[in-house]
Parts: sequence; structure tokens; C-alpha cells
Amino acid sequence: MNATTRPTPILLWAALALGAAGVVGAYLGAGPERFWANWILWFIFLFTVGLGSLFIVALEHLINAKWSVPIRRIPERLATLLLPVIPIGLIALGALPVLYPGTRPEALQNPILAGKAFWLGLPFFSARAVVCFALCLLGLGVLVRGSMRQDSSKDPAFNVRARKFAPGWMFIFAAVITLVAFDWISGLTPEWYSDIFGIYLFAGSFLAGLGATSLAILHLKARSRLEGVQNDHLYNLGGFMFAFTVFWSYIGFAQYMLMWYANLPDEVLYYKVRLEGPWHLVTIALAFFHFVLPFFVLVTRDAKGDSGRLRKVAFLMLGAHLLDLYWLIFPALGATPYFGWPEVSFAMFFLSLGLLWVRGAMEKGEDMPVGDPFLQEGLEFRL
Amino acid sequence: MSESAFAVLGLFDSADRLMKAIPAVRARGLGRLEAYTPYPIHGMDDALGLRRSPLGGMVLVMGILGALTALGFQYWISAIDYPIVTGGKPPGSWEAFVPIMFEVTVLFATFTAGLGMLLLLNRLPFFGHPVLSSKAIKEITRDRFALSVEADAGPLDATAAREALSAAGAAHIEVLPDVGPRPFLTSDYVLRTLGGIFAACVVSGLLMYGAVKLFPVLPPMVHMLDQPRLNPQKADSFFKDGHGMQMPVPGTVARGYLPLGVASQEEAASLVNPLPRTKDVFALGRESFRRRCVVCHGALANGVGSLTAAYGAKPANLQAKQFLDYPDGKIYWVIVMGKNAMPSHAADLSETQRWAVVHYVRALQRAQNAKDEDLKVEGQR
Repeated sequence: MNATTRPTPILLWAALALGAAGVVGAYLGAGPERFWANWILWFIFLFTVGLGSLFIVALEHLINAKWSVPIRRIPERLATLLLPVIPIGLIALGALPVLYPGTRPEALQNPILAGKAFWLGLPFFSARAVVCFALCLLGLGVLVRGSMRQDSSKDPAFNVRARKFAPGWMFIFAAVITLVAFDWISGLTPEWYSDIFGIYLFAGSFLAGLGATSLAILHLKARSRLEGVQNDHLYNLGGFMFAFTVFWSYIGFAQYMLMWYANLPDEVLYYKVRLEGPWHLVTIALAFFHFVLPFFVLVTRDAKGDSGRLRKVAFLMLGAHLLDLYWLIFPALGATPYFGWPEVSFAMFFLSLGLLWVRGAMEKGEDMPVGDPFLQEGLEFRL
Repeated sequence: MSESAFAVLGLFDSADRLMKAIPAVRARGLGRLEAYTPYPIHGMDDALGLRRSPLGGMVLVMGILGALTALGFQYWISAIDYPIVTGGKPPGSWEAFVPIMFEVTVLFATFTAGLGMLLLLNRLPFFGHPVLSSKAIKEITRDRFALSVEADAGPLDATAAREALSAAGAAHIEVLPDVGPRPFLTSDYVLRTLGGIFAACVVSGLLMYGAVKLFPVLPPMVHMLDQPRLNPQKADSFFKDGHGMQMPVPGTVARGYLPLGVASQEEAASLVNPLPRTKDVFALGRESFRRRCVVCHGALANGVGSLTAAYGAKPANLQAKQFLDYPDGKIYWVIVMGKNAMPSHAADLSETQRWAVVHYVRALQRAQNAKDEDLKVEGQR
């Protein structure tokens, strides 16, 4: 740490304190519904960034990739975001009686919800959340902690263990992200359901993980850390981002088109809300910032390996993912897309919290998995 | 060496030596450089100074063109040329176009990538590359790394190239003679190609014939044909009488064909023409008269029709005094019931058409017996 970067944590702490005051003020001033909607938004955002990063780590072990070994420590550190997110998620259970119609007593009057009362009800919902968090901790423990330990032990047995664990964990990952998407986001409109919704959130989550990873790598490289990581490594991250913006759009549009075609009242209502009034603009903005813009920025070969453009796209990806979650969650509050001081306070609080955590994580241990036998091979990777 | 050469090949023992030799040879500017190696070597493109492949740009342009083509076609078909509401969606719903736009984009892009690579960039058809007939080719495909100086625009200075390669450390040097114009489109080649195509047609035709003869033919998509249904004009066991088509229930009255409420022509005299004398009614009457009556009664309704000459029939002259005095109802009765040789036209003309014909006949009669007042009325207008 040199002297020029020292004011940053002070600023972050100040933003955290100011944001915390705003968060408390939001509960009192803007009402519990808006408070909890913001809380869910930021919980899911940080959760998907962390889980998406963990997915990148697991993907490397799953397919036995060598190129990503030198940069693996970055998504590993970002995945530790799941640790502070778990208490945030447990607090978010407080939103259940406020925002989730399935947990309210009047749900029993609705025949559709009454049939799903056990699934949607508070006890089982909370149990599922706790199980999901526990499974995240399992992934963190095996993949991230094991990798950190390998730095000193230099024991290649970790690679074998991780390689065996990764396929199983992919199933767990699929279950966790599907449950989180169905429970926390789709649960806001329990009469509406879409089978593909878990994959939709997975696409956004992977993109958010890629965006955060790329940003962190570029940030560290600009400070002369991560010696040996080349543009070829960045190119692969850019390629992934390019591919998965298309994947996200494919899933999102497939979900929309089937419902638009079938035109069933209980299904189209979800989109009807989002295609009317001010929400229509948000929908168009989402399609533009989550697909059109990143697609055309990343489509050329140069853009994927160019650190300047990649940084912008990574920022854009994180912002678009946040907009995506806003678009998914906030229509539950009504026809007006709320944006005011409560939203800004929440952004300040959770962003500074996340950044402080990531800053701390980036200072711990080695920047690269120095004990991994494939590190040298990964450093020699060229396109 | 003074003979003309296609290329001079320098063989190197390792990829490193090859990469080190490239800048030295390249600096001499003798011709186009090309490397032949058993496996791809990173950084080779930059070292040889190969320009960036234009394929990516071509694919992007063609992909966008594909998307626009699909959008344009579908929009034109379903919103402009033949707008039909399907599935309750307005014509020109862009959502329905997206899957096909996606597919056509992929189609255009992949075809551009594949064909562009093969035909434009890899210069196919190109038979028998000289390097393939070199002595070194076995080693190149195994463990040697070749750098070749190839004739670019002008003839290759083989001596200088040989010198440059050995100075750069080539272990072995081979000069590939110029094969002259490429053996492409010679009569032999054309004949062999046409013969090959002909043979392929014969073989596939025979195979198809054999397959159809030997194996049961599976008709595709037969669900609609096989469904139980009644065929018109065909026997069917569904109804008791064994007919596929059924007679209408007794007493059924078709729309516009109400039965006549009178028993005789004398009684019919009391019927009143219900239609007003408007342009539309006269137009309908003229149309119906021309279709059903003119052949016998003639265009002026004077009984001189084209059938009169052919068959010697004697249809009524409606301009005769007797018919000028006929009430409307009696003419109507004849149209419905027929008279003498004239058959009934009830099945061919609806009630409205019959009455319109009556009006028109009256107009024809009036036209042939016009009075001075008729001209005055015309003149005043």
C-alpha cells in the first residue's frame, strides 16, 4: 500500500457510515416495503457476484483449464463475498411477511397459493435459504480455502481433490442458484413461474462474476501486481463475457417470447407490468445495456484483449446486472420505478461494504496460486 | 541458380531457431514468407507480418445482413403483402420474427466464414501445392520447421534466398521449381469433374431406386390424412343410409330462397316488387339478366337471343304488348316456375336477383317504348 491509495478506505468507510444512516432512515422514512425491496436487491446482487465468481473457480477445476490458473486467486477472493452476504441474506428473511405474498395469511384465500402454502411459507422458505447458504460455504471451504492452503503446502493433492469435487459441486451450484432465483425473486410474484428462471439468473450471475473478476484483475495489474498475466488471459475473460451476454439475451428473450405467444393471463401479467408506463423504458434500457451495447463493444477481436475497453465493459456488465435485478424485483412495489435517496443510500452502504471486503480479501495471501503445479503452464498461455 | 523457382525452403531443427531466423530473412525483402510447421507456433502471425484476416469483418457484415434480410422478408410478408392476424397478434409483431432472424444470421455468418475462408483466403481450388511435392514434406509434418521464401509479384531470386536462409541458420535448403500455371480447368480436370458428378448422380439414383423398391415407403406427416372424416360423394358407414353426404332436413329453407307464397300465375299478379328503383338494383338486375336471360330473350328482351338461331327455340318477345301490360308479379312467377320451354330459374337466382331482373326488364321495355317526357327528365338533369 502506498501513500496515494490511503484516502480510499477512509472514503469507503465514510460512504459506509453515511449509507448506513440512509438505510436506517429509509426504513423509517420510506416505509418497510421499499426498504426490503432495496435490501433484497443488494443481497441478490452481492450474492450473485460471489456465487458467479465461485462458479468461475469451479469451472476451471471442472474442465481442467490451465490458462486461468494465474488469475484463479481473483475469483477465489471475490467468492469470499459470500461470507458477509450470508448474514445479509439471513436478515433479508425479514422481508418475507412484507413483500412475499406467499407467506401472508391471506394467501390461504387464493387457491393457487394455498396449494403451495408449505413451499412458500416462512419455515420451509427459511430452511431452504439456510441450506443454500450452507452449500455455498461447502463450495467455499473445499475450493477456496483448499486453494489458499496449497500456497504454503504446495501439495498437488488439492488439484485432484478439487477436480473430483467440481462436477458434484456444479449440480449443487445449479440447485442453489435455481432455488435462490425461484424463492427470492420469482417468489415476489408467486402466481407467475417460469422454468427457465434459474438459468436466467445464472447467466446474469456468471456475467457479474466475470465483470468483477475482470475489473479486479485490471485494477491489480494497473498497480503492477499479477506479474505475468497477459492480454491473452484478459481476452478469454472478454470472450466469456461476449458469449454470455448473448446467452443471457437468448434465455431472457426465449422466456419472454413463449409467454408473449401463449398469451395466458397469469403469465403475461408479469411482462404487462414491465412493458407499461415508466417500466417500459427500464425494459428497453435493460435490453440495450445488457445486450446491445456490450455485444457491439465486444464483437471485435481487439476489444476483448484491450484493457481499457474491457474495463468499461466489465463496469457495464456489473451495472447491467444490477439494473436487471432492479427490473426483476422493484415492479413488486407497483407501477412506479422508485429511485431516490433510499436507493442511493443502499447503493452507498452495500457498495462500500462489498468494496471494503474485497479490498481486504485482495491483501490476504498470495496474488496467484503459487502452490498450483499448473501455474507456470497457465502463465505461458498464449492465444 | 538461374532457373525460375516457386519457393526456397529452409529447414530448421527447432521452433526457436525458426522464429529467430524470420526477422533476418524478412529484412532482406526477397519475397513472400511462409512458415510450414508440424504444429501451430504462437506469435508466428506477428513474426511473419501476416495481415489481420478480414474474415471477422466479413462475417459481421453478412450476419447483420442476414438479420436484416430475415426481418425484411418476414415484415413484408406478414405486415405488408398479406397481413393476417394469427394467434391474436397484430401483423408485423417483431417478437415472432426474432427466432428466424437469429437462424438466418447464423446461416449467413457461418456460410460466409466457411466459404470465405476456403475460397477467398485459402485460394481454393488450388491443387497440388508445390510444398506438398517437396522432399522435405515428410520432415515438416514430423519434427522440422520450414521457412519458405516464395515468389511474390515478380520472379524469385533463388540464389539470394538460398544465401539469406543459410545465413539465418537453416540446416538444410531445398529449392522448389516453379510448376508453371496451376493445373486448373484443363480439359482432363473438367472431364474428370463432370464424370465424377455424373457417376455420383447415377449411383445415388440407383441407390434411391433400390431403397424405395426394397424398403416400405414411409409417408411423411400422415396424421392429417389418416384422421376419420366424411368424404363428399363417397360411401361411409357413419350414417345409416351409407352416404357420406346427407340430404338437408325436410322443410329446410336456404337463405335468400324463400318459397313462393302463391299457387298460380294469376294469383302472382298481386305480388309487389319489394326492391326500390336504385342504381344498385338496376345494376344487379342487368348483371343477372345478362347471365341467365340474354341467351334466349336477347339483350333487348325482344326474343332474339343467340340460342334462337342455334336451336330454333321461340322465346317470348318481352317487348310485345301482352308483356308490357304484365304486372311485375306475373314476370316474377315465370322466373320462379318457368313457362312452356323455359325452365325454372329459382335455383340460380336469389329472391333479390329475381326482383332486380323484373325491374331491369321493365327498364328495357321502357327504353324501347320511350316517351317524350323521358327525354325531358333526362334533359333537365
